[in-house]
Parts: sequence; structure tokens; C-alpha cells
Amino acid sequence: MKFIKNHLMFILPLMAILLGIEFFLVFDRTTDSYEKGLKEGYSMLVVAKKTITLEELKQLNPHIDSSENIKRESIVAQIAKGVSKSSAEEILQALPYFYSVRLDSYVSTSDLEKIKKDLEKDENIKSVETFGSSYSSSYRLFSFIKFTLRIFIVFTGVISLFLIIKQMEIWKYAHKERMQIMEIFGAPLMLRSGVLFKVALLDALIATIMTGALFLYLKFQWAGQSGIDIMVQNQEALFRITDIAILLATAVAIVIFAVYTVVFSSAGAQE
Amino acid sequence: MSNVISASHLTLAYDKGQKEIIKDANFNIKKGDFVFITGPSGSGKSTLLKALYGQIKPSEGNLVVGGLDLAAARQSKLQDLRTHMGIIFQDYKLINEWTVAKNVVLPLMIAGYSMDVQHTQAQRLLKHVKLSEHADKYPMELSGGEQQRVGVARALSKNPVVILADEPTGNLDDYSSNVIWDLMENACQQLETTVLVVTHKIPSIFSLPYRHFIIESKGVYEVH
Repeated sequence: MKFIKNHLMFILPLMAILLGIEFFLVFDRTTDSYEKGLKEGYSMLVVAKKTITLEELKQLNPHIDSSENIKRESIVAQIAKGVSKSSAEEILQALPYFYSVRLDSYVSTSDLEKIKKDLEKDENIKSVETFGSSYSSSYRLFSFIKFTLRIFIVFTGVISLFLIIKQMEIWKYAHKERMQIMEIFGAPLMLRSGVLFKVALLDALIATIMTGALFLYLKFQWAGQSGIDIMVQNQEALFRITDIAILLATAVAIVIFAVYTVVFSSAGAQE
Repeated sequence: MSNVISASHLTLAYDKGQKEIIKDANFNIKKGDFVFITGPSGSGKSTLLKALYGQIKPSEGNLVVGGLDLAAARQSKLQDLRTHMGIIFQDYKLINEWTVAKNVVLPLMIAGYSMDVQHTQAQRLLKHVKLSEHADKYPMELSGGEQQRVGVARALSKNPVVILADEPTGNLDDYSSNVIWDLMENACQQLETTVLVVTHKIPSIFSLPYRHFIIESKGVYEVH
């Protein structure tokens, strides 16, 4: 019972950190794809006196990714129904040029304002419609969700670190005497810390496997059946095999840090 | 014969040199010497022993053990030196979660001997200290005298150049004390091991020629 308790006291906070990291990775991938969707669904309207090329627009602001000329003929056809051909041609001559402009990323509202100002600096451009209010509400909601989750992950990480520090104190208490005796007899650092390393590495492996297993379950069982659009659409992003390497590397790094801190703070041969 | 231990103007102190325990000590100990160090409680006997295995660095002067100047020695050199020492403590300092046999072969484990060699040596040494039947027990299952015999077996396991013993028979019954003195006498006589023993009283049964140092008023003096 004590053996299991000792292991769980390291495995659980380590798992909390790994879960935090995996959540971060998954959220990053999911929001990337959501962001991509938002970006692709958004375009601003640029009204120009004369034709303007994509290169010219890109020179005004580097966030401009593509532009599409909205055919004036179709606009005239909409607004000049029942008008004579010559009048329609006059309207066509008087109409400015309309462009639907897409951006290279889902920029912040302040960046959107800057893009608008940059474009309006060009004398050829009459006006720019960014549809700012709907963009702003989507962006704010998206930013808030991102921020909240990050805060939660950081908070969980900090709490878990405190629990790991507590466990390090227990390790120190349990292993100090043995390590000091071994040190007196000339044992090198690796041999002194060997037992603790084995215990901690085993815990790190268990924590990594459990975290991986949880996310695999979420990916293959829960996500598909959840009916939540964002989950179903981003099922692939939920867990990737490369995540195992990231989680294991993190767990091992924490183990190395924790074990060496305990070993060095237990060293008693040099007073 | 060459000096195994050499102290010149040696000062040992705690609290960053504030509290002097031994001051300006000079002595040489040769290979195969058996040395008793006596003195009143708190005189610095154990401190001197700690300095000899590098747990305390000299504040002033030189202390050379096995050719290594302990005042300037790096940790790796100190570790290497300790593998050639057998150290016996009054409080045994056995690893309680290890079996008796595993405790005995700790120095061999550190030196990287194979499991077969460790096993053979453990059996041989435990037979020497009359604890063969306790090989698989844990230290806490043994009496104080038996635990100290395990400590002595551990100290002898790698045929050390120097044995440092701090009150090795302090709390023991006559039987265990006699076994321990016999073992240390044999090591000194047959293997020319240098032995330094800190004790309150030199045992009356001791039969080998020995040297006697007294620590008093911070000084180390040899009794002739």
C-alpha cells in the first residue's frame, strides 16, 4: 500500500503536467485549424478608383494574401435592371473597382485597423470595409477561450510542480541516508542516484503511458461519439504519435531535474 | 617505509574556521601501522577521522592520505581515495533496506566487481565475522554487535589500504568486541593494512605492537 502510495504521489502530479502539455498541444492544433477556418471565411472589401494588382496591395501591407476582382458587370446587371444599354455602360464607367481581399492569418483587431489604414493611404483606394464588428466579436471570443485555457494549464502546472517538490522532499528523506553512506564509500553520483533514478523513471514511463492512453481513448472513442463539431472535425489533431515523444521527453527532463536536486541536496560528504 | 598518512601544521575547524577543533597537528603514519587515537569526549577524535576520509577539509596546513592532498583534492579524486579505505562507524551506518550480504559488498559494488565475485566475497566475509546464517536478513533484524560485525566485514571487503574505525566496539558485548579486534589485527598483520582506531580505551586483549596518539587541548600528541 505504501509502495503504491509513494509511486502515485509522483505519478499523479507528473500526469497533471503531462496532461497540461498535451491539452496545450491539442488545443494549439485544434485552434490552428479553427483559426484557418476563420481566416478562410473572412475577406475585406477594397474599393479602388482604378484597377489594382495583388502585388500593389501586398506592398501596402504584408498581411494581404490574395485578392479577387468582383466583376463590375454583375453589379451593374443587379442595379441597372430595365435601364438602356447606353445608360448601363455609363453606370459601368462611373463604378469604382471592387476587390475581395483575404489575409494570410487571423490577425488581431488592432492589426486589422492597421491594414485598413495602410490601404487607405493609397490615393487609388477610395475605401476599405473590414466588417470589423463581427470580426472583432469572433476574435475576442477566440482570444478569451485561448487565454483561459492557457491560464488553466499554467495553474495546473504550478500546482503539480509544488506536489513534485513535496515528493522530492519525501525522496530526500527516504534515500538520503543510503546515498550518504554510498558517498562515504566513494560511490560515484550515478551509482548513488541509481535506485532513485530507476524508481522515478518507472513513474515517468507510467505517467506518459497513462496520459497517452487517455488521449487515445478521447481520440478514438469519445471524440467521434461526442457529437461536438469541433471535436469530430479535428479528431486527427487530438493525439498524434509524436506527442508520446514530447510527453516522455518532458517527463524524463522533470525526473532528471528532480532526482539530481535530491541527490545534490542530500550530499553530505563535503562540509 | 613510506607514509600513508601525513599531517603537517594541520588545523581542523567548523563554522568556516571559527570553531577550531584541532590546531597545528603534525604526525606521520606508515603502511602497516596500527594506531589508537584516544582523548576525552569532544576532543576532536571523530573530527580527525572525518578529515582523513575527506568529509571535512583542513582549514589550515596539509593532510596527505595515500599521496592525495585532501585540502586541495577534487571530489572525483576523493571518491577514488575512499574506495581504498575501509570505514567503520560507531553507529554502524548500514543501509537498512539492503540485506546483510549486499551491505557487506558495497565497496565491491562501487568498484564494479561482478555479481559472482560479490556473492563469493560476501559468503567468505560473513563466515569470517561469524554471520553466515544472517546473509539474507536485514540489518534491523540483527543485534548491535552483529550489525557492527557486518560493518567490519564491509570495511574489509575490498582489502583496503587504510581502515578508519570510529569507536568500533563502543556499545558491544565482549564476544563481538573480540571478533572485531581479531579481524583488525589480522588485516594489519597479514595484509599490512594501516589501521586507525578512535577509542576511549585501548583494549587489554590487544596483542599487536601499536602506536598511540592522544588528542588533548586541540593538539595531537604521540605517546611513546
